[in-house]
Amino acid sequence: MTAPTIPGTDDPAWLAARRADASGRLDDLAMPSERDEIWRYLDLDFDPAFDSAPSQPGTVASPDELAEAWTGKIVSVIDGFVTDAGVSTVISASEPTDDGVGTDLFATAYDALAPGAVLIDGDHLGEKVFVDVQSTGAATTFPGVHVEVPAGSEASVVVRFRSASDVPAVVVPRLTANVGDNARLALTVIQDWNYQTRAMGRAVVNLGRDSGLTLSEVGLGAKIGRLHLDVNFIGHGSWAKIYGVYFGEDDQTLDYRYFMNHIGTNTRSDMFLKGAVEDDALSVFTGMIRIETTGVKTEAFQTNRNLILSSGASAQSVPNLEILANDVKCGHGSSVGPLDEDQRYYLMSRGLTPDVADRLQVRGFFEESISQIPHADLRPWIRERINMKYITAQEEGRV
Amino acid sequence: MSNALEVTNLKASIGDLEILRGVDLTVPFGEVHAVMGPNGSGKSTLCHALMGKSDYETSGDALVDGVDIMGMTVDERARAGLFEAFQYPTEIPGVTLNDLTEAMAASNPDDDGYAARESATTKTLSMNPFRERFVNVGLSGGEKKRSEMYLLGVAKPKMAILDEIDSGLDIDAVREVAAMVEAMRSDDMGILIITHYSRILRYMDVDKVHVMVNGRIVQSGGPEVAEELESGGYTELQAANAR
Repeated sequence: MTAPTIPGTDDPAWLAARRADASGRLDDLAMPSERDEIWRYLDLDFDPAFDSAPSQPGTVASPDELAEAWTGKIVSVIDGFVTDAGVSTVISASEPTDDGVGTDLFATAYDALAPGAVLIDGDHLGEKVFVDVQSTGAATTFPGVHVEVPAGSEASVVVRFRSASDVPAVVVPRLTANVGDNARLALTVIQDWNYQTRAMGRAVVNLGRDSGLTLSEVGLGAKIGRLHLDVNFIGHGSWAKIYGVYFGEDDQTLDYRYFMNHIGTNTRSDMFLKGAVEDDALSVFTGMIRIETTGVKTEAFQTNRNLILSSGASAQSVPNLEILANDVKCGHGSSVGPLDEDQRYYLMSRGLTPDVADRLQVRGFFEESISQIPHADLRPWIRERINMKYITAQEEGRV
Repeated sequence: MSNALEVTNLKASIGDLEILRGVDLTVPFGEVHAVMGPNGSGKSTLCHALMGKSDYETSGDALVDGVDIMGMTVDERARAGLFEAFQYPTEIPGVTLNDLTEAMAASNPDDDGYAARESATTKTLSMNPFRERFVNVGLSGGEKKRSEMYLLGVAKPKMAILDEIDSGLDIDAVREVAAMVEAMRSDDMGILIITHYSRILRYMDVDKVHVMVNGRIVQSGGPEVAEELESGGYTELQAANAR
């Protein structure tokens, strides 16, 4: 057990400076407006309660079944504090101070109030790292994970977000990563907050020359589950494969804003997200492929497919392209619709009841994405969770 | 003894368009029959109306082994012993053939023969490479038909309707499909082949050929009927049976 770092004490100079600067700006910032495109679709009528940010971690109610089955390193981040570090370095001067996360209310609050991110760096490679991020109470918390993959090496990281049941909370998670030249990062993020949690997630990944990122986001929980991701293809020949799986129910809003910024030449991005919504849930995918004038010979593709399973549920799917370079290849596909009638008919003609036929179809729909999640050992758990959500919705008559 | 299939005065329409105008058809157990007819005569509608596809409004009777299926849902008809091999089998991405046969067995808990039929049919049709692949995804025309025949073997229905089982196939594949159908023939199943062409009938023994024109069976007889159609075409029959 590592003693938690109390925010504001023993900070490295860069962190103290960032904290002071952000604290100075925080009071003047208002809640973002839903009229801004970037915040559109979110109900921001809530109190972010930044003054509730705790000065020490709370008590964890239950162990995590995924962490218990994990064979690699495990790091616990409780209420934003690194309490149990399977990786030794908690805060490092190498966490980027200028990481492109922006200066909106939530980014600034993180900079002012976060105790400090878990750092997974060159000392912790060669073994899979599982970061168990938990929120134990109603306080607003700022968990952070920073991954630094040195040139030529490989890192494998799972970040699992969860919160104590039935406690409303605001969480402002931040994930940042620098992937060095010819390095690889496999990152799976499991968003499993309770249905009262508003999670305003921000992520930035910078890719060096010939480096590669495989990233999956699995959206299961949260009242608001937002992930605003920037992938910066800075190095020539860098690439990213991004897979998304999400299932919204209740009055959840799952908001994905994925920005692929192609700066280097010969870079490649593939986004492939599949989601379903039922009950009164809303999902949002806003994809942006931006190719700078320098990004010649970029290949970039985005696909987002959505199943609408109840009449009260909806999905927004908005792929965008901004191409400033010549000689590029881009493509996008997007669909929003109900289960396929032909598939249902075919499966029923094989003797399956409509319920069983639909379950099989939903399972198949997600399989294309789940089978690509970089951490194969997590796939059965993810598959089971998604399937159970659908079966429960069937049993409760919502779909 | 009841028949595998007994259809009486079956009508089917979509909106105001009447496609089947009173079909009578009986297929006894152990026999293989063929329905032939030109494009638009209602052959595929006959399959779907019997299987219970919701696009159609239907009236009339259809019995499978003496049990009236017309009030049943699609899956109930399947479990009552009716099987349709599709002309264009639907792709089910993300679901393997194994997943599907597993679900079929689970849907019929009273029938404990699935595992045995699965391994037997896998062997006869050399299906091993396909069982871990997604249902009908990325399969060639011939492979799709083979997959449908595999599911037929696994389901072991009382009555099998094979919709255009020979369409889109080269001559070798047609011969292969014909051999598969012959291999499936058994005393406790009736088989109905729906086809445009007499081609497939050259490679198998059919007990009876029915000719469908404008939503009715207008002629029934032995295999010689197919040969007559081969030389004469449908034109004369169409003229004689205009709406």
